[in-house]
Amino acid sequence: MIEFKNVSFSYDSKAKEHTIKDVSFKIEKGEFVSVIGSNGAGKSTVSKLINGLLKPSSGDVIISGTNIKTVPASRLSKEVGFLFQNPDRQICCDTIKKELSFGLKLAGISEEETEARVMEVIRDFGFEPDTNPFLISRGERQRVALASLIALRPEIIILDEPTTGLDYNECTHIMEKVKELNSVGVTVFMVCHDMELVLDYSERILVMSDGKIICDSVPHNAFRNEAAMKSACIIPPQIIELGIRLKNGFESADTTDEMASLIAERRNS
Amino acid sequence: MKGFLDYVDKDSILHRLNPLIKIFFSICICIAAFISDNYFFLLGLIAVDLIIGLMGKVFDRALSLLKGLVKISIFFFILQILFVRTGNVIFALPLGINITEDGVLLALKIVLRLISATMPLALLVSVTQMSDLSNVMVKSLGIPYKYAFTFTTAIRFIPVFSNEMSGIMEAQTARGVEFDTKNIFKKIGLVLPLCMPLLISSVKKINSGAIAAEVRGFNLRTRNSGYKSYRFAFRDFIGILISAALIAGSILI
Repeated sequence: MIEFKNVSFSYDSKAKEHTIKDVSFKIEKGEFVSVIGSNGAGKSTVSKLINGLLKPSSGDVIISGTNIKTVPASRLSKEVGFLFQNPDRQICCDTIKKELSFGLKLAGISEEETEARVMEVIRDFGFEPDTNPFLISRGERQRVALASLIALRPEIIILDEPTTGLDYNECTHIMEKVKELNSVGVTVFMVCHDMELVLDYSERILVMSDGKIICDSVPHNAFRNEAAMKSACIIPPQIIELGIRLKNGFESADTTDEMASLIAERRNS
Repeated sequence: MKGFLDYVDKDSILHRLNPLIKIFFSICICIAAFISDNYFFLLGLIAVDLIIGLMGKVFDRALSLLKGLVKISIFFFILQILFVRTGNVIFALPLGINITEDGVLLALKIVLRLISATMPLALLVSVTQMSDLSNVMVKSLGIPYKYAFTFTTAIRFIPVFSNEMSGIMEAQTARGVEFDTKNIFKKIGLVLPLCMPLLISSVKKINSGAIAAEVRGFNLRTRNSGYKSYRFAFRDFIGILISAALIAGSILI
């Protein structure tokens, strides 16, 4: 479980204004939550506060009952996995197998257990164990970075714009794997600029603007909150935008399939 | 000392000074620091560095630079006093290590030189735009543009790589690498394996930078391609006089 209690944070202790301003929310185990907002709204800062890379200036961040102020970020890695936008910052070994073992060795997991987990992940992702991760495509490298998190079996996974620069196919590979993890109880916290993706996968959305959470709701309501969308400079997914403009009951459609069946219903009646 | 090589966009007499004179002035301070054996003169040079910071409206940066250099100097100071064995022994340490008078004096001189010679070069780039620096090297010193560009790009890339390294360290901390440890020796040991991702990202950045320069006609550039001209003003002659005075002072004092 993730809990933010009146959290404020500033990168510069002398700054008059905080980057994150009195933010409070609670995420239950197994939830898939996305945080959206314009650049500089504080989304990445919130995600770094969750895994302890940043410590709050005031307030408390509680991860599975532990206040992150009391634990170094490196110790939280077993519970909180973080997938960065740029996989090249995470990858540091010359074979995929070594790369996947890296985090497990740091976590003090036995050699037999490490070998078993790594081979399981390799099979699951369909990797060649001896491939050099620096010589594969960007999307593949992102999958390697995700696989190295999965090998650690964290309770929480943070995704900071995980699909930026990936094509549809690579994006789907990553997100389907994340969805699979979520279905077995892993909490997912995703920072994303792709609203279609947010709508497709999230159960709940936090809308951020100027360091504050201005809307905390299910995607259906969040994307229809005009004031929040305007304040966060977000254009809702096209299907929702179309429904809002068409009105007459069409505004309830969240997916293309829902919209198609609504249209079909009207045509038949 | 984060961002200590970034240009600070302000309006000061040092910003308006001819870039060539700024290079000349900084080099003169460095030379003076290495010529002089006088401790007070070296301290005076550090004071001159701080005055440069004040005049260039970058005093905060000059101070933080000084603080950073003092920290590095402590390491050099200790190293020096441990290895110089000549002179009167001030006190003896176990394992036959003696702290000598010569060792302390030499260590002091080295750190004063280090501080006084490093600060002007860092302050020079704080008050001079990189494009002006490379243009003046090409136009006034006749250095081929390729070399001037290499020099300025090397300086420009220092903060870029520093940011990249911070990003890599952050990503690795999130994976469980104990960069948040207080043990400095452990931290150094942990940094070494990260040279691989840093090297790869650096090569990628440099390669894309080179391609971008190439497609914008980098090789077509000649000495006359820069549109700015750098004329000498009265303040530049004052700069030359001060530089000459510093060199003379270092020889005479």
